[in-house]
Formats: sequence, C-alpha cells, structure tokens
Amino acid sequence: MLSKSQARTFFIVFTGGFSLVFLGLTVDTVRAVPERSHEAELSDRAKRGKRLWDENNCMGCHTLLGEGGYYAPELTKVVERRGAAWIDLFLQDPQQMFPGQRKMVKYDFTAEERRDVIAFLTWIGEVDTNGFPAPPDMTLSGAAPGTNAGQIAAAPKPGADPLANAPTMFRTVCVACHAVGGVGGNTGPSLDGVADRYTAEALDQWLADPQAVKPGTAMPNLNLSDDVRGELVAWLRARGTQETSR
Amino acid sequence: MKYNSQKVAYIFFATCIGLLFLQIIYGFIMGFAHMGFDGLHDVIPFNAARATHTNLLVVWLLTGFMGASYYIIPEEADRELFSVKLAYVQWASLVLVGVVAVAGFHLGWWEGRKFLEIPRPLDYLVVVNVLMFIFNVGYTALKGRRFTTTGLVLLAGLVSAALLYLPGMIYFDSQVLDSYFRWWVVHLWVEGVWELIMGSLLSFLLIKLTGVDREVIEKWLYVIVGITFLSGILGTGHHYYWIGTPKYWLMVGGVFSALEPLAFLGMAIYAVAMMRRGGRRHPNRVALFWTVGCGILSFVGAGFLGFAHTLPQVNLYTHGTLVTAMHGHLAFWGAYATIVFGMIAYTLPELTGRKLYSGWMPEWAFWTSNIGMLGMTGALAVAGVAQVYLERRMGMDFLAAQKAVEVHFFGMILAASLFTVGIVLFAINFIQHGLPVSEATVSSTREPEPEPPSTPAMARSV
Repeated sequence: MLSKSQARTFFIVFTGGFSLVFLGLTVDTVRAVPERSHEAELSDRAKRGKRLWDENNCMGCHTLLGEGGYYAPELTKVVERRGAAWIDLFLQDPQQMFPGQRKMVKYDFTAEERRDVIAFLTWIGEVDTNGFPAPPDMTLSGAAPGTNAGQIAAAPKPGADPLANAPTMFRTVCVACHAVGGVGGNTGPSLDGVADRYTAEALDQWLADPQAVKPGTAMPNLNLSDDVRGELVAWLRARGTQETSR
Repeated sequence: MKYNSQKVAYIFFATCIGLLFLQIIYGFIMGFAHMGFDGLHDVIPFNAARATHTNLLVVWLLTGFMGASYYIIPEEADRELFSVKLAYVQWASLVLVGVVAVAGFHLGWWEGRKFLEIPRPLDYLVVVNVLMFIFNVGYTALKGRRFTTTGLVLLAGLVSAALLYLPGMIYFDSQVLDSYFRWWVVHLWVEGVWELIMGSLLSFLLIKLTGVDREVIEKWLYVIVGITFLSGILGTGHHYYWIGTPKYWLMVGGVFSALEPLAFLGMAIYAVAMMRRGGRRHPNRVALFWTVGCGILSFVGAGFLGFAHTLPQVNLYTHGTLVTAMHGHLAFWGAYATIVFGMIAYTLPELTGRKLYSGWMPEWAFWTSNIGMLGMTGALAVAGVAQVYLERRMGMDFLAAQKAVEVHFFGMILAASLFTVGIVLFAINFIQHGLPVSEATVSSTREPEPEPPSTPAMARSV
C-alpha cells in the first residue's frame, strides 16, 4: 500500500513537472499572441479604448472574448455586427437606442473617446479566437409555431445586394436592427414592403418620434434631421415600387 | 481550543458572516435586475452590483481562510500564535481595504477586470495585509514544536495564493495577454492553490471529528492535492480556448480540465470514507455535516458541473453565458463556502465553550442553505441552457433571449430566499454562542460553559 512519503513524492513530482510544462507553454503563448492578435495594429487609439473599457468596468455587464458579466451582449464581434456608426450613435445615449429595455449607463464619452472605444473593439474583432463566437448552427428558415418570426434571422435571398443605393444612415445604423431583402439585423421587423403599408407622412412621423406614434415601442428616437428622414422615406418608397413592379 | 491566541479566529469568522450577508443583498439586486426589475440602476448599476457581489465572495472566503489558519496553525504547531496584536491589526486593515474597495465600486473606482476589480493602489494594501498575515502564521509554524502535513499544506496554499496575486497586477495593453495572466490569479487560485487550503481544512476537520489516524488522513491529503495540481495547472487551458491564444490550448485545456473532477471526487470519497471509518463519534454532528457536505458538493458543483461545459466542443457555445454563472455558484459554495462553514461550526463551540451544536437550528441552517443553493443552481442551469440554444445556436437577439429566460430568475430568487433563511439561522446560532472566552482553552473534555453570571439561574452550574 502507498506510504505517506510516496504520496508526498507523487505530489511534489507532479506539481513541479506540470508547473514547468505550464511555464513552457506560457513562453510559447506569449510569443505567439502578437501575431494571432495582430498586435502591430493595436494603435494608441485602441490602447486608450482599452483603458476606457477597464476604467468603466464594461466587463461587469458585457462579455468580451466571452469573459465578463452575462447581463449585456457579447462584444467581440460587435463592430462586424452593428458597425462603427451605430456604436457611435448608441454610446451617446444607450437607453434611447433601446427604450424600455435593459438599461446601460450613459457614460457621456466625448466624440474622441467613442472613437477610442470603437478602435479597441475593432481590434478585438480581428483577434484569432479559434472560432469564437460560433455562428448559430440551428437557425430556422421558417419560424416554428409560437415563436416570434421577427426574432429569428431569415436567410438572405440570392440576387442583387438589397442595400445597393441605400442611404448611408440605413446602411450604417438602421440595418443593425432591420433587414431588407434578408440582409440586416433581427432586433426589429423586416422592412420589406413597409412602404406599401404606410404613407410617406406616417413613415416620417414614425422616424421623427416613434414613442409618440406607438408608446412603449423598442424603436429608438435617433433625432434624425429632416433631410435624413426624407432620404430614408424616399428610399423605402422607391424599394416598395421596385418590389411591386417585379 | 488548546491555545488562548486561537481566539483571534472568532473576529474573522464573524466578519465572514457579515460580508456574506452583504454579498447576498447584492445577489438579490442582480437577480431582480435579470427579471427586469432594475429600479436601482441609477444608484447601483449592474456592473457595480456584480463587482461587489464577486469581490465580497473572494474577501469573505479569504477572511474565513485566515480565521481558520489562525485557529489551526497554533494547534498544529503546538504553540501560541506569534502575535495576537498583529493579527488584530491585520484584521482591521483587511476590513478597511474591503470597505474602501466596496465604496469605490459604487463610485466607479475600479479596474474592469473580472474578479480583480480592486483598483491598483488597493492591490498594494492587499499585499501588505497578506504579508502581515503570512508572517504571523508562518513564524508561528516555524517556531512551533511540530510541523504537521496539514499545517504544511495549509501554509503552502496560503503562500502560493499570495504569490499568485502578483501576476494580476501587471498591466497589458493587449486584452489577450491581460486575460491570459488574469487567469493565473483566478484559475490558479480556485482550481489550484485554494484547493490546498480547502484540502488542509478538510484534513484538519476530519482528524478532529472522525478520530481516524492522522497519518492515514494526511497521506490521502497528499494524494488529493497531487491530483489537483496534476489536472489543475494545465487545466488553466480551459480559459485559453477563445481568447486569442494558440490552438493547442484546446487540446491541453480539454484533456487536463476534464481530469479536474478527479481531485474533487477524491475530496468527496476522502470525506465520506474517513467519516465511515472513524470509530469516534464526535458530538458536534453538524460540523461533520458541513465537512462531508463540502466533500460531496465540491464534487457536484466544481467537479461535475465544471466538467459539463469544459470540453471545447461544448464550451464554444456555453462560454460567456449563464451556464458559467450556474457552475460558479455551486462550485464556490460547495468547495469553499461550506468548508469555511465547517470550520466555523467546529471551532465556535471550542472557542466559546458553549456546545450549541445540537438542536434544530444548526441542522436546519445546513439543510435549508444547501437546498436553497441547489435550487439556485438549478434555476441558473435552466436559464443558461435556454440561453445557449436560443441565442448561441438559433441566433435569437441577445435581449430577446434574455427576456425569454427572465422567468427562471423568479425561481432563482425563490431558491435564494430559502438559502438566505439557512444563512440567517446559521448567523443566529453563531451569535448565540457568544464571544470566545479564555476559560474555553482545552475545553474539549469539559462540560459546556455556563451563561454569563448575570443570569442567576445559570450561575449555579459554575
């Protein structure tokens, strides 16, 4: 039977041995990380962004590289998902972007600081993460009974880019939540055929103040200028005509 | 209690329980926020509540380990503690750092690094504090009349925990390296050197409570902590799957972290086998409950539930979801909170001379808190698995998926209420024991100490 001194030897040998292996792997990892994380592209701006990320304990709610709180969305690929313009707008007033939803602190970042944070998130998005986060692999093409069809992404239809000719505002911001022709986010409803259902005046009113039209809606008031609203409505109506004529 | 200086453990244990209550309050704040009741958002946003909740956990467990060490080291070394005064100074400075840190979290004074949110200047104070503690117990052990394995493993755990705090104080511009070395602290603490501390406390309690020969218990202690490091050191790799570190970590982390449950299985078998083997029936049954409960729940929470999502194929989808929170709750409770409770349950009658361990209250404290924690883990498990399928596998929007799992947080809050009842009972039992008294020294052979002489009815039993 095992004696106490044998047990002690077992403890010391394995602890010492595996500590050395671990240190060896650490040396190799520290050497490999700069290339895997494109450290050359880690700009001063991105470094300042990381400081802001730390100082405000963003990780207390969000996850980054899957690490953090589980209260707010995972942000490793957020720039790819939402786009820089959307994030910039969102950071100015997070609660306005998601009225009535889970809240985020309004940090009152300056325009420069917002650019820093976005630079940091852009850099993170390009780190080789061995495939994390994995793209959803059970996406339904048709919604199952009882599920909210609007929340499950629909497959994009093949053919021309539905966002060709779209106003900048639509391509950079609206598309984060709304899809047209199967391209775009799934937070809000798809906007295919929206111009057939509403008049230009109704669409304009809606964009100007969604809460006034439908209290409690998740649609944010983005404080769009008259020109931008006009552009958006004109484009949506033009799309409607194309679709009907097809 | 053999030495008068062991009394210093009391104030640490009392602090422990106080901090646990504070931790529970912040847990409720987060539970309600997850249900959509975030009325406190403007005062205590979620990240402040979370930093407070997790850091309080770490601090109260460390406080418990310190109290346990102040009790165990003199007993194992067979001499009085080097300096009782230093121990009280160390306690006071620990509380001061804790209060400043928690207040700071509410004012946005922190580092946004999960589990290590305490800002850098306070880190230095923590280091000074821990050095004071290590010096005090270390000197006592070195100058002692004997050097037992239990004492040695405990000291090794405490010293390595202190050393491993340091990598967490290096600043990296790269989030990848920042995270890499942050896990040196977090993982190598809880799945490494803290297990040394836990194992030695377990061993101490089993020696005291079962009457099994010290040589046998300490031999198996070596085997178990050997398995801990065999699996746990390279098991750190399960945090290096997706953070930008090389691909071989998927293999290394997967294989070795899959072995980690063995160490906890060892703890469970160890506790149960020694309990069955023990011929002596120690009257403090509830301390044995906590001790054996620790062995078993550490396996369920840390071992089994950890294994459930440690393989890379699973972790790719569960990483960064409520599944982690599920594992975290039962792991910390099972492995570390219960061993501290076991130490408190065993030492309190020794310190105060009052043997208030029989009766319904301490046993109900044990059962309600454990069942409550299992319920919380169950609620988080359902929420976590649902989140993984809805968000990660089907592509539902984050906020929509969170809405869908809101209801499970109601279950979590119910279970947490039951848990809180158990902790309240434990605290009442703690208070009923009264303060430690010098007359309790070597009290294990004596009858229970009487109530203070102010109660005439009790005075006659003196």
